[in-house]
Amino acid sequence: MSRRLRRLTPYLFLVPGGLWLILFFVVPMVVMASVSLQEGSLETGFRLTWNFGIYPQVIADASTQFVRSIAYALVVTVVTIAIGYPIAYTIAFRGGRAKNILLLLVILPFFTAFIIRTLAWKLILADNGFVLGTLKDLGLLAPSEHVLATPLAVISGLTYNFLPFMVLPLYVALEKIDPHLIEAATDLYASRRQAFLRVTLPLSMPGLFAGSLLVFIPSIGDFINAEILGSRDTTMIGNVIQRLFLETNAYPEASALGFVLMAAVLVLVALYARIVGAEELTQG
Amino acid sequence: MLELTGLRRLAALGSVAVLAIGCGIAGQSPSTVPSGTGPAASAAATPTGGATGTPSGSATPGASGTPGASGTPTASETAAEPPTPAPSLSGEVVWGNWPLYIDIDEETGGYPTLEAFTAQTGVQVTYREDINDNAEFFGRIQPDLAAGNPIGYDVITPSDWMVARMIRLGYLQPLDKSLLPNFEANVQELFRDPWYDPGNVYSIPWQAGIVGIAYNPTLTGREITTFDDLLDPAFAGRVGMFSEMIDTMSLTLLSLGVEPEQATTEDVQAAHDKLLTAAQAGQFRAFYGNDYYDALAAGDLALTMAWSGDVSQMQLYDNPNVQFVVPESGGLLFVDNMVLPNNVEHLADAYALMDYWYTLDAAVPLTEYIGYFSPVAGVREQVEADALAERKADHPIRADRLDQIARDSFPDEAQLANVHNYKNLTEEEERMWNELFNEIVGG
Repeated sequence: MSRRLRRLTPYLFLVPGGLWLILFFVVPMVVMASVSLQEGSLETGFRLTWNFGIYPQVIADASTQFVRSIAYALVVTVVTIAIGYPIAYTIAFRGGRAKNILLLLVILPFFTAFIIRTLAWKLILADNGFVLGTLKDLGLLAPSEHVLATPLAVISGLTYNFLPFMVLPLYVALEKIDPHLIEAATDLYASRRQAFLRVTLPLSMPGLFAGSLLVFIPSIGDFINAEILGSRDTTMIGNVIQRLFLETNAYPEASALGFVLMAAVLVLVALYARIVGAEELTQG
Repeated sequence: MLELTGLRRLAALGSVAVLAIGCGIAGQSPSTVPSGTGPAASAAATPTGGATGTPSGSATPGASGTPGASGTPTASETAAEPPTPAPSLSGEVVWGNWPLYIDIDEETGGYPTLEAFTAQTGVQVTYREDINDNAEFFGRIQPDLAAGNPIGYDVITPSDWMVARMIRLGYLQPLDKSLLPNFEANVQELFRDPWYDPGNVYSIPWQAGIVGIAYNPTLTGREITTFDDLLDPAFAGRVGMFSEMIDTMSLTLLSLGVEPEQATTEDVQAAHDKLLTAAQAGQFRAFYGNDYYDALAAGDLALTMAWSGDVSQMQLYDNPNVQFVVPESGGLLFVDNMVLPNNVEHLADAYALMDYWYTLDAAVPLTEYIGYFSPVAGVREQVEADALAERKADHPIRADRLDQIARDSFPDEAQLANVHNYKNLTEEEERMWNELFNEIVGG
């Protein structure tokens, strides 16, 4: 009896997590899948008609926004790596006693809500605000130039909002690197650049991988930055889904788009994991 | 290893089966999707207060459709219900309204008219400026409305076409006019029996206004007179339009010489084409809800579609340069209305609040601040009298302001002639118009 219980114990440990997963993930997924196959409207009610034809339809309708969202998310990921890596490197290797304070400074924006931070950017980038207004007064910008309602504003907003998600995993990975390894590399006649490229960078790959996922996946589905800082030419797939859900109340189309987005993200992430060699990373 | 492969295959097949069965089960839920599954939802759809006639109480589980689909109540059906006895005041009421729609004390940040109401009746008003866009707001409250749950507001102030839609869906309770004596006595004839709610069964007007164009002459460099000025390439990237489909499409239809109430499919298609060309050329900075106000006041926009009262307030408080104009091609008359959803927590207080606004003590200070077209009779005359009093008391600035409000907030005969009504869209039409509009807005 007790031997059987002992064999079941690992599975019993899974129960709380499994229940949580079922309740908060599986059930909503199934409901959403069901909705996507329904037809109808608010006034006549929705009926399950197994309407699989909705998937090609929504993909065709929202293809530009899909491509645009993927493009923006890729740019944001690259930019956050470009900005975040030096920050994480400096804090990990040169931080010394100020490490905690520097980390706190990186996380500080998170003390305010996402929307408020984005609205703050709307003020910062305002046509005649203190950034653009000053540049215009100095004659560096034409008076009719605007940054808001351009892709630049949306990408900047996304970068700012997700930068800490890149810095923190990178910091964790870099922190784990034994400085003696770099010392050993330089002892073996490696230049500082070579030491970085062949020791530090490969060892920080788990952090890069985690950070890119944490930045790419939320950015692709984001709609707040596009709504507050963008224009009709920067609408992302998140905006389309939001509009379909809340304004036109076209629940089947919105749910179908949600699933397509999820599938697209899964495919892209799987590809990325393949390229980066995630098998070794997650075991490392 | 072989054992595991078999197990994996079984797991895969099993999860597909579960998904399919789950879809089927979830698809059997009687009400609209977001309100959840099965009997729990329809059991919760109980009517409250005087709304014994609304169909939400008669929804049966297993029926495919929203509670409203089992037959929208006609005016005669619900008017035949005997008036329920007035419930007693509970001391609080929650009101969801648009921004820039109430007077504010600049120093304390309080609302003088609401404070006067509290002093008079003892009812605390929780005032929430939560409505930015009709469809957006509707999207938020719809699941609760469909399930018959309280939506978190006792009184809400949707616009005319949204009231029409909510009536069609059966989400509103008919008003007990015996509890609204001031409305009956003081409402202007123009506002009685509107197109979206014949007989004022479900709604009473809050304020009206005109959808027109607001512009900043220092930024446009010239006077703006008509809708096509919004499409002038000279202003590319600095023009605002409304995200509210019915406003933007109707104004565009007028610019094509089409009366919105008689618009056909071809007319709407033409309006769509006109707007799409401009949108693709980058003419519009963005499609706004009420947040166009901040963009216009800050100077991000040179000209934009606007609501008349907002501009009066902007001239007085935020940016004195801005002008409002009813386009030569035609403006739109909109009426925002106070309505009661089916499930209201503080019913007597809600009625007290709604009726309070039809007294001159409340309506006059309100108009003198927000500058919208009041549905209450006698307000304009009172504002003019107040202007005269201020002039006699040697406050010329205040007198000028009040004169301007008396002039601009109440359209004269000529202006009213150039102001048109919206079309009462059927569900099919609304979907078609929305699809066309989404293409313009969504890029």
